[in-house]
Amino acid sequence: MKADLNNFPQLNKTKFENRGKEFRLGIPVINAVTVGNSIAVGFGDGTVRIFSSGKSSEPIKAHKGIVLCMAKDGDHILTGGDDGRFLRISLDGNINEISNFGTRWVDHVTSKNGSVVCTSGNIVYLWMPNKKEPKLLEHDSTIGGVAFDSKGRKLAVSKYGGVTLWKKDYSNKWTSSDLIWKGSHNKVIFSPDDRYLVTSMQENQLHFWRLKDKIDSAMSGYGAKVKSFAFVGDSKYLATSGANDAVCWPFDGDGPVGREPICLPYVGKQLVTFVESFPNENAILTGLGDGSVYLSEIEKANNTIIIRSFTEFEVSAIAVTDDCSHLLIGDMGGNILWTSIWDEEKN
Amino acid sequence: MQETNKQVPVTVLTGFLGAGKTTLLNRILTEQHGKKYAVIVNEFGEQGIDNDLVVDADEEVFEMNNGCICCTVRGDLIRILSGLMKRADKLDAIIVETTGLADPAPVAQTFFVDQDVADRTKLDAIVTVADAVHLSSQLTDHHEAEEQIAFADVVLLNKIDLVDENGLEVVKQRIKKINPFAKIINTTKCGVPLNEVLNLDAFSLKRVLEVEPDFLKSDHDHEHDDDVTSLSFVSDTPLDMEKFQDWFTKLLQTKGQDILRTKGILDFTGESDRYVFQGVHMLMDASPMGKWPKGKERSSRLVFIGRNLETMNLKEGFENCKSA
Repeated sequence: MKADLNNFPQLNKTKFENRGKEFRLGIPVINAVTVGNSIAVGFGDGTVRIFSSGKSSEPIKAHKGIVLCMAKDGDHILTGGDDGRFLRISLDGNINEISNFGTRWVDHVTSKNGSVVCTSGNIVYLWMPNKKEPKLLEHDSTIGGVAFDSKGRKLAVSKYGGVTLWKKDYSNKWTSSDLIWKGSHNKVIFSPDDRYLVTSMQENQLHFWRLKDKIDSAMSGYGAKVKSFAFVGDSKYLATSGANDAVCWPFDGDGPVGREPICLPYVGKQLVTFVESFPNENAILTGLGDGSVYLSEIEKANNTIIIRSFTEFEVSAIAVTDDCSHLLIGDMGGNILWTSIWDEEKN
Repeated sequence: MQETNKQVPVTVLTGFLGAGKTTLLNRILTEQHGKKYAVIVNEFGEQGIDNDLVVDADEEVFEMNNGCICCTVRGDLIRILSGLMKRADKLDAIIVETTGLADPAPVAQTFFVDQDVADRTKLDAIVTVADAVHLSSQLTDHHEAEEQIAFADVVLLNKIDLVDENGLEVVKQRIKKINPFAKIINTTKCGVPLNEVLNLDAFSLKRVLEVEPDFLKSDHDHEHDDDVTSLSFVSDTPLDMEKFQDWFTKLLQTKGQDILRTKGILDFTGESDRYVFQGVHMLMDASPMGKWPKGKERSSRLVFIGRNLETMNLKEGFENCKSA
């Protein structure tokens, strides 16, 4: 059978694609971070672009190879690269090198209340506010992810064998305790109310700990590695990638033990590759392996709308501006959609 | 799996310290003009690698939490390979240099176990650089040296100018006894045409069909009980698929830690296709690979490389799989 290109059905563009701006950059989108009403995007050629309403986005040459990781730091962003550089970048493109690790990659970055963190190998480098020299927190294996709690008093570090939980006491001294679960742990996040800690694993599953009593459990049943997950609303659900459905685990009450997740299905049986919570709503933005993106209400099975049609490349980034006026979608083929969310908004 | 993304070949360079890994690596990097390589090295490795893209690795081996006791992978490789595959500029190949004392199994298993790695890269071959002068004593003293030979697709027998003809023959026989599949290339200063070490596709099932193992006719005498050796079996009687699967699955489950590599071409009763498989410890890749060639007798061939093979009743087990 031969495809007749002249008669190939043209898929209709969504209203968001029609009124938004589409960029076909051809450079893999690695990550996107919201800073106020702008969204910073990191690319597979080491550049960063800042998208905001009414402004064009020029590439900022940040790293030599890939922008491996990115986080918000006040009104700046932090980036780590495979050139060993750890950078703070302003929204107008000024780059400040915080540290340089040479041939060792900077794998993860985060910040909270002026404290700045990057990791390289098995070491967390922690710069307290107004301190020039970092504090080094060493671990027994390579770090899979880092996250501060909402107050910046706890730092979770995931690694092989579980999570090391660092706590800062009132004399600013950091002490650690271990949350143990066999296997290699990657990305780690706190729930917005700081009651839970969740990691994704090398195996096709997630793991969580309830911090008040250290009860822990696996969330499994996925067909692929869970690379993207996010709490929705006020910790009520944890939305996850890694299956054909967006799997949303209940974290209200006593958490997900013994309860079934809500599974939001999408047409075409594509793998869910990215999930992001939709601010102020009990809804998620779901990106699939074919580049399509949907907005779904978690508790209303039929309330799903399509935001972007397919591009053939897996969705690798979704971010919404703080004022909830615009959103950005990026994929591994280097396609970006920047669009207003509500009909009356301008781009 | 995205078929549009061509898998980047990964060559694994093993060998004891001083055998000549860095010499070979630099030869590859300087002779392949216009190609873009990433080189993954370990922090204890020899210095002086002449390449733009050198990544430091930790050789971090971890167990998969999947109930498979010998399923160890290289966590740092998963992280680095996944990162490299996000680059805007596509790489022609990736070379992983391991430390002298590294066990190659976790490296090979990484390509079986991690789906992202398997989707975007492929293990091209394990190339072991061996020092013709010192290999014999290294094989006696270090089980890692045996494993590096056992897993090799190519053994670069280096520094042959420093041994006499007899010494060279002895060390070659020793290599063949451990691994009859490996192609042995004699070199001085790792002088080898690069097409003999790169783009070999040695882990594809198609290659299993092409490589004729170089078996020793002789003995089964060992110096130690835990020597790595190989055993092979041939049958002109077709095998019963169910019996074979039962036996082989149980065998790998119980003895997988001692079985380093397996390869085979199987003739099952009632099946028109050849079945080809290859495995590393408990992990297997298997598939029907088309009809038997016309004019060639159908037969099953099975090879094991491992330790304590003589205790596993392999011959009896294989015989029992023959169709009645």
